[in-house]
Amino acid sequence: MYICLMYSSELIKGTLKTIVLKLLSDNKEMYGYEITQRVKDLTGNKIQITEGALYPTLHALEDDGVVTTEIVNIGKRVRKYYKLTPKGKINATEKVNEFADFINTMKFLLDINLQLG
Amino acid sequence: MYALSDQQIDFILNDIKIRGVEMEDLQLNLLDHVCCIIECELEPEGDFEDFYHKTILRFFKKELKEIEEETNLLLTFKNYYAMKKTMIRSGIFSAAVIILGSLFKIMHWPGASVMLVLGIGTMSLLFLPLMIILKTKDNSNKRDKFILAISAVLGVFLCWATLFAVMHWPGKGMFWIISICISIFILIPAYFFTGIRNPETKFNTIVTTIILIGASGLLFTMVNIRPAVKQDQIKMYSYIQSEDLLKKIQNKSGGDQKENGTQNSLAEKINTLSEQLKSLILESAIGYKSIPKDFESIGIYMEEGNLGSHFFENGAGIRLLYDLKAEIIKYNASAAISLENKIPIDHSILDIEPDNIGRYSNFSVLNSLTQIQMYVAAADNKLTAIR
Repeated sequence: MYICLMYSSELIKGTLKTIVLKLLSDNKEMYGYEITQRVKDLTGNKIQITEGALYPTLHALEDDGVVTTEIVNIGKRVRKYYKLTPKGKINATEKVNEFADFINTMKFLLDINLQLG
Repeated sequence: MYALSDQQIDFILNDIKIRGVEMEDLQLNLLDHVCCIIECELEPEGDFEDFYHKTILRFFKKELKEIEEETNLLLTFKNYYAMKKTMIRSGIFSAAVIILGSLFKIMHWPGASVMLVLGIGTMSLLFLPLMIILKTKDNSNKRDKFILAISAVLGVFLCWATLFAVMHWPGKGMFWIISICISIFILIPAYFFTGIRNPETKFNTIVTTIILIGASGLLFTMVNIRPAVKQDQIKMYSYIQSEDLLKKIQNKSGGDQKENGTQNSLAEKINTLSEQLKSLILESAIGYKSIPKDFESIGIYMEEGNLGSHFFENGAGIRLLYDLKAEIIKYNASAAISLENKIPIDHSILDIEPDNIGRYSNFSVLNSLTQIQMYVAAADNKLTAIR
């Protein structure tokens, strides 16, 4: 469900949770549109998260008790801000560490270091 | 930056609802998201509707509902591994308990019914539904999903048909018919016509279809699909008529001849024991202690079979049978009973060795017991007539 300009969707499938958790741990609270924009800006348009992938993930995270929400009225409509719970903060660190470890393993496995010289 | 009016916000929310998003949380999230995009990306004098319709297309591949379906999927399969574990454990448990229950059943050991209900219940209500959910999720092929789901549904009905048959609960015929119909009219055609088109699966499809048709045919032949089998029906009506006859003879002798105390109390004991034995047999056969008057309208049909679990459980029936024999010997020995009124023991149910009792059918034992009661009632009649 990703739209990504650079990478195949298989490659980053499964990293969406990590991305969202990391963003939320760096920023106190965020809403959906903000998350997609931030990812776009940070990656220089290389990764774009689609709404179709983002909102199901956010709902699942909320259901897991990893994030809480706060509803703010913006004129006629409401905006849901997502925030990490204490459990979510631990979870975010774990996920990022796990992914970092994964990258190191992949570097070794695919012999990327040598090629990068 | 474009400024959205209240009507436009209502319009967007309404459109999100029309497109099939039902979760309120998700509706509000999407509404805010769309509004943000429009406010940030649309020129102040831009065409709202045109831009909205282009924007909403970015949210999905086929329809907006996908987002909600994906959300539900994520929420449901959060427990994916727990479900898988439960499925495997319940499968092993139910298979083991069903096999044990069957063994207990044929050995007439106590507890067979509980095990069978538990085992078949777990299999049909936990294992098979979980299998449908998990396996259809794993499988991306629509055909496989459908075949798997319909097979599992068939499995559930077969489970219930077997359970109802074993427990002698009313309604097993209906489950058999549903099972056979699903198999013949849905599963086999669906399997055959979807598989035959693919050259790779063509041969396997033909072979499996033949096996499936053969198995369904055997099943159809093995279980009596029609609710009443003629032979059994005649036996059942014959037993009911014997009972009626017994009632008539008993009513005739039902006067107030209390003076012949010992003989009367012996007769009463024989009657009570016979009735207890009959109710044990009937309870296993039809689920009632006696055949209800409206048995036809509530669809009770008794089938010929062994004496049933109630009779054998803890040896209850056999104990009663021994008691009955003892009482009849006392009755025959009683001075008030003339030679012609003695109850014959040889070649009757009373003459059976306990080891062989399992070979006798419920109908023959029921009739034999009723005959014993008739002897008693007839002897009673004669005594009354003499006096």
